[in-house]
Amino acid sequence: MSALQTFMLVVDHDKEEAKRIAEGIANVTVDIETKKATLIDTVQSLGEYINDEDPILRGKAISYLTAVISALSPKYLTRQQIQVLTTFFCDRIEDGGAVAGLKVLQSLDRFNKYLATQVAEALFSNFQDLQSRSQTQRFHVYELLNDLMSTHRAAMRDMGDISLLGVVDIMTGEKDPRNLMIVFSILKVVMVEWDISNHTETLFDSVYNYFPITFRPPPNDPYGITAQDLKGRLQDCIASTRRFAPHAIPALLDKLDSTSPNVKKDALNALIACIQAYDPNTVSKFSITVWEVLKFEILNAQEEFLSESSLEALQTITRRLSEGVTEVSQDLPLAKYLQPITKECNEQLHEPQNKQAKPAQSILSCVSAASPVSFTLVVQTVVAPIFTLYQEADGIVKQKALLETLNVLFESATTIFGQWTTREAEPAIDNPLLEFKDQLSEILGQVLMGAAKEEVSFRVTALKGFLRLSTLRNFFQDNEIGLFVQYLDEILLKEESVGRDDLKKEAIAALAEISKHKPRLIIDITFPAFVATLPEEDEGSDALYLPTLETLAQISVERDIFETLFRRLFSKLSILLQKEQPGSVAYPRAILVTMLYVMQQRNMGQDQSIDLYYEKVVVGLCRDVAASASGMAKNGILNDPTVLDTLGRLCNLLVRSVSTEKQEQVAENVYTLFATSDVFVPVPFNQNAGADQERTIIISTYLLAGLSKESGSRLPYINPDMSALLLDLVNRSVSSTEPAIHQSYLRHLALLVNKFLSKQDLTIAEQLFDSLLQGQSTEPNTLNHATIRTIFWLAKALVLRLAPTTTHILTSLVALISSPDQQTSVAAAQAFAIILSEDDILSSTNGATIRLLCRQRLFTTVIPLISSRIREVNTAVTDKAPDHIKPAHLTALSGILSTIPTSLVMPELPTLLPLLLQSLDLQTSGSTAVRAATLDTLAVIIRDNGVVVIDQCGHVQSLVTRLLKTTVTSNGPGAVNSPRLRADALKCLHLLAAHQSPPGTAPNARAPPAISPLLPVKNQVLRSLRAVLDDPKRDVRKAAVDARGAWLRGVDDAPEEDD
Amino acid sequence: MTEIQNSNPTILDAADLPTRLRTPQKSADHGLFTSALPLPAEFDASSDSDDDNLMEEPIDEQEIYDLISSISDPEHPISLGELAVVSLPDIAIKPTLPNVPESPLQTVTVLITPTITHCSLATVIGLGVRVRLEQSLPSRFRMDVRIKEGTHSTGDEVNKQLADKERVAAALENGALMGVIAKMMETCQ
Repeated sequence: MSALQTFMLVVDHDKEEAKRIAEGIANVTVDIETKKATLIDTVQSLGEYINDEDPILRGKAISYLTAVISALSPKYLTRQQIQVLTTFFCDRIEDGGAVAGLKVLQSLDRFNKYLATQVAEALFSNFQDLQSRSQTQRFHVYELLNDLMSTHRAAMRDMGDISLLGVVDIMTGEKDPRNLMIVFSILKVVMVEWDISNHTETLFDSVYNYFPITFRPPPNDPYGITAQDLKGRLQDCIASTRRFAPHAIPALLDKLDSTSPNVKKDALNALIACIQAYDPNTVSKFSITVWEVLKFEILNAQEEFLSESSLEALQTITRRLSEGVTEVSQDLPLAKYLQPITKECNEQLHEPQNKQAKPAQSILSCVSAASPVSFTLVVQTVVAPIFTLYQEADGIVKQKALLETLNVLFESATTIFGQWTTREAEPAIDNPLLEFKDQLSEILGQVLMGAAKEEVSFRVTALKGFLRLSTLRNFFQDNEIGLFVQYLDEILLKEESVGRDDLKKEAIAALAEISKHKPRLIIDITFPAFVATLPEEDEGSDALYLPTLETLAQISVERDIFETLFRRLFSKLSILLQKEQPGSVAYPRAILVTMLYVMQQRNMGQDQSIDLYYEKVVVGLCRDVAASASGMAKNGILNDPTVLDTLGRLCNLLVRSVSTEKQEQVAENVYTLFATSDVFVPVPFNQNAGADQERTIIISTYLLAGLSKESGSRLPYINPDMSALLLDLVNRSVSSTEPAIHQSYLRHLALLVNKFLSKQDLTIAEQLFDSLLQGQSTEPNTLNHATIRTIFWLAKALVLRLAPTTTHILTSLVALISSPDQQTSVAAAQAFAIILSEDDILSSTNGATIRLLCRQRLFTTVIPLISSRIREVNTAVTDKAPDHIKPAHLTALSGILSTIPTSLVMPELPTLLPLLLQSLDLQTSGSTAVRAATLDTLAVIIRDNGVVVIDQCGHVQSLVTRLLKTTVTSNGPGAVNSPRLRADALKCLHLLAAHQSPPGTAPNARAPPAISPLLPVKNQVLRSLRAVLDDPKRDVRKAAVDARGAWLRGVDDAPEEDD
Repeated sequence: MTEIQNSNPTILDAADLPTRLRTPQKSADHGLFTSALPLPAEFDASSDSDDDNLMEEPIDEQEIYDLISSISDPEHPISLGELAVVSLPDIAIKPTLPNVPESPLQTVTVLITPTITHCSLATVIGLGVRVRLEQSLPSRFRMDVRIKEGTHSTGDEVNKQLADKERVAAALENGALMGVIAKMMETCQ
């Protein structure tokens, strides 16, 4: 059978076959290309089918021809052959396959302009009834047209009105989104490139008929066309040519009368697109009309987004009308457009405290920020009247609102003229505000410093305005900004606090802001004023220096300023260290904290002065600490644990940022603290160390924490291995009595084991752990508090790096809770929170080894052990366990849960929830911490997962009952429910009502179609909470009001119907 | 609501409204620097002392103000506090039975100032305030919500409605009205 015959027979039914035929066609093609057969043969072989009565048969024949042509190499067909084929296909254009054939032909190089016209004409004359055909057929026709448009645009354009009307006719009535996507892009080409003057309206109507697009894609739409895609293309068409303006703009403005916010939104977007695309002259013609309509949308805003879009439209017009304008004049179209706008705003500003003054401010803000010229025009018409109103204003409320309006203009000025730090070139026009500079500075200064002290928000407004002008590029002179800085200094140093101290907060923020632009002014004016108020020593009880230090810390983030601050504070500190009577240690500590705070805000690794800080603080002060520990200091400042702690943090931060050589230097001096052996004997292995000497371990620990793992090889006492050093630390920690020293030993030990101990030496630590557990004491299973903490810190270090014996370690720890000795059991239970709790020394910032899976591991190992032990205790009939066992296990559980993310907890909720409920049952004052932790956990679970998860476990009723029990007040000492517990329980109740639908569903989509699981307990909750409304504590009452409100409003028996 | 009655009312700045000042915490570590110095969690086991827990904080005018000032106006998405419809000096708490000192009963009086004298929504606002208080105060409190004298053209009429328990109860059965009130209270927190 010939390829043709096979094709005719099976083209419709069989994929397999079709493939074979394709090969057949390929053979035919090869034959033709190698001249074994001719194209004419192929056409002639079609003869019998091609004139058949049956259109389907004819279609198949033509498809065959198309298939052959498309398989031919693009260079094969001669000009003449193309011409013949084109004419043939055009004649048969209504038969299936012809359109596809033409699509192939028109893409060939030898296809010419004349042929393109011929094809287009054939399309236009034969497809008048296109809309009655199937979607696919229409799609092919549009595709052919689109190809012609892109490859033979000139030919199409030369057809003029014929192609214009042809396209419009053919697409009129199209409804399919896929087709419309093509149609819109074809039409856009016509609109932009054809001479459309005779048919503007026809063309406009052809697309505008589709506005607004209400298409909603069906679920699982395979074509993935969204309403937004269509809206975008349609909008491009509407905005394509300024000739549409007389039709488009009035039509779009009309659409703003619609009641649907979405339609209005589309209309506004299209309007903005038009303004951006049309030329300024056209925009100018309609500018005032647009304003008249949009005014209403802004002043009486229905929806925020509509007023935002309207403002954007106004701003875009302003920007377009400003194009190319360099000189300000009242005859500009821009000026004519702005005139009614500023007039309206001026009128609204007569009552500046009223609601509509706000939108008026927004209007001024958006039009003035559009261009330098518009800014000038607005300032010229608005500022003088504001001054007049201000002078005549009968009250502070009004004056304040006017100042706010000025601030809006200052903000626009910043947008246009930039700040001192802005690098782009300045606009050519002078800042029109300069004319009012003295007046502005006078009014603002007067309000800021002259207004009554309690008018905080009035003064804050003035302060903000002053700040804006001070940072505005080339506006104030340095001495004028200096005056403002002096005002701020005065506010901060001399004024009493008023209310929430908003003014002071703003003043500090303002100084910090100015420090970025004019650091010199801060260094020259603020620093001397502030440092002068710092005392030589802490004389009195109230720390007056603290606010000053706080302010200095906040304004010293800039590099130059920070260095000045550091030098000044360091010299203060040096003087203090030399005094015989230095006063309270709180003062030197506060100085150190100030340095620490600023360094934390800055990126110290990039600081060029880091070596200076390193020398002064890490080397210098550590040496002083060593000397002080040996009793060689004038005073005890550097023996104080809190001072040492702060200094340690400072050193830690610096050590992390210094070079490798410096780090190695630190590693070698971790215990000697840069002191010589005649001054100071390091702590490890020193059996005679007193408390002052032992306290240096605080600094050593922070230094150690800052070191990189690599520099660990330079540490002392680690050869041949660390066992001796670790054992010494363990012994010291177990017997240590001073909390700060004890804590440092623990961390030091943990750091060494977690960060510096090599993998092969891990057994050293594990053996240490086991020997500690077996206990030095004679009585079995009885360990003192310090030992238990040492055990847990050692475990923490090992578990975080997931040492091979992690499971053994955890199991041993859980066994400790079952100790018959109550103290051991309780202490161990409380220590469980240690293992995973965040520590700011053993942290990833300090390079500790914290494996991602350690939380998971701990959770899956420990929770089953605890829960089965509790079940055992609950069910034991004979052989009752001591009373403390169960609460202790619950304590351990709450400790672990507080350190584990809820995502890990959720799968185990059915097991855990009963345990959590039992924790809430512990109605003793000793269990406050456990219950607080439990409530926290519950709150997170409810917030993240909704009531559903509780309901699935079947515990809604029991949970609610226990929560309500926790809200009850009992008087007298040792009250069972502390105010915090009551408030937390109420918070959980509130969350229950607020998260009835599972997370992820939209909040306004009323999700629970079924009856809420909370409904059965609603009355119980409302009744109980009524009593809680009379709680003696205000915070609890507030929580009760919120919770009750949520239950009243949120828990319904039937879902609300939409109205 | 078809037509907005007062489209351009005066608005107070939220920062200027009366608020309760918390007594600043007197501690060595001042606010700013606490972030620089996180204390190890194990040290501060008991933060709230017994002393603190025993001190009673009775319900006062500011608390009532906080309850009702965040209600939204039915016409504008603005709170009653910002519109000065309710204000602190117009709230009073007095013993209901001054002759019986041991009685726990108290009466809360709230005077409402409508934004314009012919505001037809004054009743709805009054009702909203009343509902909010009834939901949020313990049962020993009696509510007395009234229009401030001389601020409304039909003040007496409205007051009569607000004081009439039967009428209030009937109004609360009205679905549409409750819808409006629920919407007003959405902003309360």
